[in-house]
Amino acid sequence: MEQHVDPSSVHFGNDTNNSPLVGRVKKLLNHRMLVGINDGRFFLGAFHCIDKQGNIILQDAVEYRSTRRTSPSPMEQRCLGLILIPSSCRSSCHVDCSIEEQISLLSLQK
Amino acid sequence: MAERGEGGDAPLPASIYSDEQTVWADVSPLLEAACRDLRDGELIHGENFSLFAAMSALEIMDPKMDSGIEHSGYHSIEEAIEDGAAPIPLSFDRTVDVQCTIDIMDHFLACEATWHKGHSLAQTVFSCIYLLRLDRTSPHALLHSYCRIMRATCAAVISVVSDARTHEEEDLFTMAYGLPLKGEGDEKCLSMLNAVEETISRQLRACKASSSKKGILENIEPLQTNLDLEEGYCKALLCRLRFRKHFYHVLMCMKKPQGRGFELARKHIASCLSELAYIYNSLEFLGFNAYGSCQNDIEDSTTASGRQPVGFDASLNSRLAAPTPPRAIKILSWKKAIKYFEKLLHDLDTICSFSMDPLLEGILRFVVQFQKSQPDLVARAHLQRLLVQDGKLYGRDPVFDVICRAAAVSDVPKNSGIQKSEIVLQLGQLAINLLKILCTNAAWQRRKLGKILQDWSVIYVQLELASKRDFAETPNILTDVNVSMKLSKHLLIWTEEQIYWIASRFLMLGFELDLYSPTEYCMVYWYMYVVLIKLAEATQLRMGTSSDIAKRKGKKKRDLPKDLAKDSQIPPMVLLLQCYICLSEGLTMMLAALRNEHKIFQRPSAFNTEEERFIQHFELLQRAHVPGHISYMLFKESTSHAQFSTLVRYNYFKDAQRIAKELRSSFSSDSDRLVELRQIEQVAEHNWIALNVICQAGAEDPSLKISFEFSHHPCFAIATVKRS
Repeated sequence: MEQHVDPSSVHFGNDTNNSPLVGRVKKLLNHRMLVGINDGRFFLGAFHCIDKQGNIILQDAVEYRSTRRTSPSPMEQRCLGLILIPSSCRSSCHVDCSIEEQISLLSLQK
Repeated sequence: MAERGEGGDAPLPASIYSDEQTVWADVSPLLEAACRDLRDGELIHGENFSLFAAMSALEIMDPKMDSGIEHSGYHSIEEAIEDGAAPIPLSFDRTVDVQCTIDIMDHFLACEATWHKGHSLAQTVFSCIYLLRLDRTSPHALLHSYCRIMRATCAAVISVVSDARTHEEEDLFTMAYGLPLKGEGDEKCLSMLNAVEETISRQLRACKASSSKKGILENIEPLQTNLDLEEGYCKALLCRLRFRKHFYHVLMCMKKPQGRGFELARKHIASCLSELAYIYNSLEFLGFNAYGSCQNDIEDSTTASGRQPVGFDASLNSRLAAPTPPRAIKILSWKKAIKYFEKLLHDLDTICSFSMDPLLEGILRFVVQFQKSQPDLVARAHLQRLLVQDGKLYGRDPVFDVICRAAAVSDVPKNSGIQKSEIVLQLGQLAINLLKILCTNAAWQRRKLGKILQDWSVIYVQLELASKRDFAETPNILTDVNVSMKLSKHLLIWTEEQIYWIASRFLMLGFELDLYSPTEYCMVYWYMYVVLIKLAEATQLRMGTSSDIAKRKGKKKRDLPKDLAKDSQIPPMVLLLQCYICLSEGLTMMLAALRNEHKIFQRPSAFNTEEERFIQHFELLQRAHVPGHISYMLFKESTSHAQFSTLVRYNYFKDAQRIAKELRSSFSSDSDRLVELRQIEQVAEHNWIALNVICQAGAEDPSLKISFEFSHHPCFAIATVKRS
């Protein structure tokens, strides 16, 4: 899983980051993103921003929570708008994409 | 490694589907890797990104922002119910069941008061699981009827407050989305409650009859099993039910348009107050007979018995409070809740006993007087709804008529179209707005008053221009011109009077809100003095014009009141203002002299100059030219030469005291005014004594400690002198 980063792609002081990985993440912007957090809730919203620490901002986010402790149970949802999900509480992160896009994402992880 | 993502620790919720042609792809590894490639402080974002907007994002898992944080409690109301958090019946022991029901009623009262005091409905009244699933309670007639009237009461109160829209700053109050506030059959809540009340009063009668051995009246099943306690429990329940019934009646009566239900409302208010007293008196019985241990201190407890009520969980629907931050709130204690309702009922009674004065002057006075007791939101909303309905005063008098009456316009030209003129319509709107603003809380009121001053002064200029124009374009029919000219003259004077009245209220509210520091009192009293002089002038002018009319009418009738001669000199209202002018001037000069000679109350602050403070305090007045040509320089000029030697010779406080004494006879039938006069006399007398003490001690005595207190009047301070 160690990603081999070409040192030439990181230019401090340069405005654009040439890392291919960063480029791929950029392509995911505004895709529907589903983030699960430690306490069992999920947030679904448009991927808006991520920083170096892995904190994610979602736009027009909806919160999903199960109504019972015992799963599976019906989900309850409510709209939250713009939210920031700290990386510390994030437990999963999925993006809604076509099958081809998924294959290219998978190939990246090999 | 892709499998790790797919089968991650938390399974994807089945109910969140991806679109048909797409799949959920795990991007955690990609994000993790990409983040490593990011430089410090670098973000990945699109073109529509703004850092400023991103700052307002709700942070998940932040206890102050995320109201959805999982508390250890239940995930849903249903789960709580299944777990037995809100059992029906509350207990199979019928005595315990009654006790628990009373606890719920008491806690409801505490929740309701807390809600009225500005917390969200979801965290207070609707923290009750029984209320959230009302239909479940139908087998338990007592609980069911109580919950139902609770819900109907909340809905009625919300409707008054949101109609009146006095709650700008207390906006949590009306937020009720997601809550089952209205249900079918709530209009029958009274008949349900009456039926339950009837049953219990029969049980009470039966119990009394059997104890006095007069024979059993009917074969009635007792309320609960412990017959020694039967009477106490019946009584405790009855007063609680009756309070609810009467309170609901109060709301319904006050809802009737144009104050038609006020008389009846007052009867229900009286009943409410007596039931509240019974409720309070049940404390001893309930506390003594509480089952189980009650560790709670009764002062903090939300129930009379001191026990925790069954069936309440504030965290259950805390997520309904979104997007407000999930504040932890403290429910008022039961005793405080009773105190709150007593005050609310007294305030409502004051409204109901208002004579519905047709004169604006009297209304303004009533509202200001009413606000002195610092009524809470619900009472203020009721007052506002009485004053302004459908854009009319009391929902009855068109604003134009009200203004004409206030401006002492005797005969409005018919068909002159003046009612329809743009300026007059605007003036009417301003008057309505003024009434509404005066019903809001003090802080909000002051801010709004400062802002509307500008609108009023704009309209004043427009009126002035219009009257000049009319005068220039005199058409040929003379009488008509005369009438409309008189009208615009009256309106002009009246508008000016309102402007200075608003300004004086604005300045005085600053004292009530504690916005001025002692070093600033001097400039504030100076400004008040200037504004009050203008107000007195305008009032005198208006009253002068109106007494002209009265005189003329009086002569025709040939029954002149004997004191007309006295009246025509200076009206008592103006003399009263004169008292305040004297007090303001006296305080200004005393504070200035203290500054000039004793070097105290001198420097406002290390952070800004006195001039900056002057601007901060009076910016809104200055911008509206209230009054014109007033500046910091003028204030400096008029106060820089103040000295105690001259102050003693010309004494403002003595003047105030003298006028106040003389005025007593003019206001002999008005108890509020007499209290006001007494206050003026006291303030004047105390300050006069202080002035003399300071003078005798000499300017350079360093042992004198001088401070200002508001012990006799909320706005006019009293100097107290102590020797250290």
